[in-house]
Amino acid sequence: MAGMTAVEKVLARKSGKAAVRAGDVVFPDPDFVMIHDGVVMGAKRELDSLGITRLAHPDKVIMVTDHDVIYGSPRAAERGAYNREAASVWGVKNFYDVGRGGHGHIFPMETGLLLPGMFYFDNDRHATNAGAIGAFGFRIGTEITRVLATGTNWVMVPKSVRLTLRGRLPDGVHARDIGFRIAALLQTGAITEDLDYRVLEYAGDLDQFALAARTALCSSPTEMRAYGVFLPPSEAILAHARAHAQRPFEPVYADQDAIYESAYELDISGLEPQVSTPGGVHNAVDLSEVAGTRVSHAFIGSCGSGMWDDMEQAAALLKGRRIAPHVRLFIAPGSEASTRRMAAGNLMQTFIEAGAVMLPAGCGPCNDAVIGPVHAGEVSISTATNNNAGRFGARDAKLYLGSPLTVAASAVAGEIIDARQLQ
Amino acid sequence: MSAMSDTFQWQLKGRCYKLGHNVPHPGGVVPQWVIVGRHFDAPDIIPHLFEETDPGFHTRCKPGDIIVTGKNFGMGPKMNGYIAMQALGLGLVCESMPFLAWRAAIGCGLRVMTDCVNVSEMCETGDELEVDFRNGFFINHTRDVRREYPPIPDSLLEVVQLGGNAGWLKHWHEIQGAGA
Repeated sequence: MAGMTAVEKVLARKSGKAAVRAGDVVFPDPDFVMIHDGVVMGAKRELDSLGITRLAHPDKVIMVTDHDVIYGSPRAAERGAYNREAASVWGVKNFYDVGRGGHGHIFPMETGLLLPGMFYFDNDRHATNAGAIGAFGFRIGTEITRVLATGTNWVMVPKSVRLTLRGRLPDGVHARDIGFRIAALLQTGAITEDLDYRVLEYAGDLDQFALAARTALCSSPTEMRAYGVFLPPSEAILAHARAHAQRPFEPVYADQDAIYESAYELDISGLEPQVSTPGGVHNAVDLSEVAGTRVSHAFIGSCGSGMWDDMEQAAALLKGRRIAPHVRLFIAPGSEASTRRMAAGNLMQTFIEAGAVMLPAGCGPCNDAVIGPVHAGEVSISTATNNNAGRFGARDAKLYLGSPLTVAASAVAGEIIDARQLQ
Repeated sequence: MSAMSDTFQWQLKGRCYKLGHNVPHPGGVVPQWVIVGRHFDAPDIIPHLFEETDPGFHTRCKPGDIIVTGKNFGMGPKMNGYIAMQALGLGLVCESMPFLAWRAAIGCGLRVMTDCVNVSEMCETGDELEVDFRNGFFINHTRDVRREYPPIPDSLLEVVQLGGNAGWLKHWHEIQGAGA
């Protein structure tokens, strides 16, 4: 009998089965359930309308506040009050209110809530970030109500596609650049024709990637419809997990003879910094093709680039420099812990002295422009998860995506430039 | 939880309503404003089903009619249009759907089959069709064509029969109450 992929092994374990295969329908017992501030109201109202007022496992529910952290409208303030009441009525102790925790797809990996080998349900599709630490988070959308009420829901075991990275990423090139490149290759069919409801499982020369880089590697495949992304945890990742673990964990690795739908290799040793041009993350080109494009809006943060390392690398570029007079640069750390650490060290000072605006930990502009939007016709460069028209403001604004290095350097120059020119 | 009854109609017999490839949910199945406005009540959505391509569709379709589509139907995890189709008693047979579109349709309690290879080449609008969503049988009586496609998985029949996720939860809660 052939072996299992990483997702098959995790879902078999959580479903109490010796083995599962892609296409099987299972009812996994999740390690936890995550729901964010934007959807608690809808979920609770649906459950209330059915007379369901008690959750199956309130102790497993994690409520996060990351989509609209500082209440950009009276409606948001009302929603925040509703969420607070919901947490109280439901008895959810893991309620991360405004200013507590931060981005739900980042801080649980930092604090040891999310650990290698785990599986959880999430209302949001960017739960794919769990792959950075060797776990799985599955987007269940509005069907989160069934998970909240009963403890589980049905899952069809996804197929897996293996992507082997070869070589060492050049200095000054970032893991986000790899993701942009992968998205472009997915669009052309050079890497699988369709990632819909697949798990992208990385393999190869992965030890060079720390947790932040692994998080970056999860981002772009998600925008290309991957349902899960997975990186087998390295020794360094396991050491991080052991140091922060809030409970025991058991990492998972794919079997050597696991069955993949398809397998590809990508040599990253010659990769240039990438920029995704407006309209989709898959519109990635070598930065040199768009160098010189004038920008006035910039943002560093989001599920894809909100880790401590991202902040540190951006700050290193900004240290002793000021952003161009016509640019406004927003910084949204992924966690409150990062914000505190930035304040305790000199990163916060560096960003502020450079002329950047600090935002609270969370999604930043990347969530429906509740904060720091672009205006009509404006040109932006950011580390947002995607640059679909209207992602954070006017639909006719031009949204470019780059790595934290590219965005920081471009904010200084006032136009898109290669960060290596400043290093 | 067991709620399976013998009375649920897994087999639909009705007219074909054929659509092409890549029909988007916003602007194809229902107008964008229905989705943006978060309309989830069937009576609100029904008048607008296929409104932009075929105004008045809801007045001409009949329970048992079957929508047959090409590839990539729905193009995303929206559920509004499936709520209307389910309430109208329609079935949906697709050459392919994004997984989350299919999941949304199941979650609305719609009788739906996907991965039905070349099915849109075997029928035209108005043909008399018969489809059994529990065993995957597809028959076009007008053209005397028979095929077997992947049916709704056994473990999801209960969700569809109970009217989708909300109906399943309602039934589950009633059983919990009865057992308490």
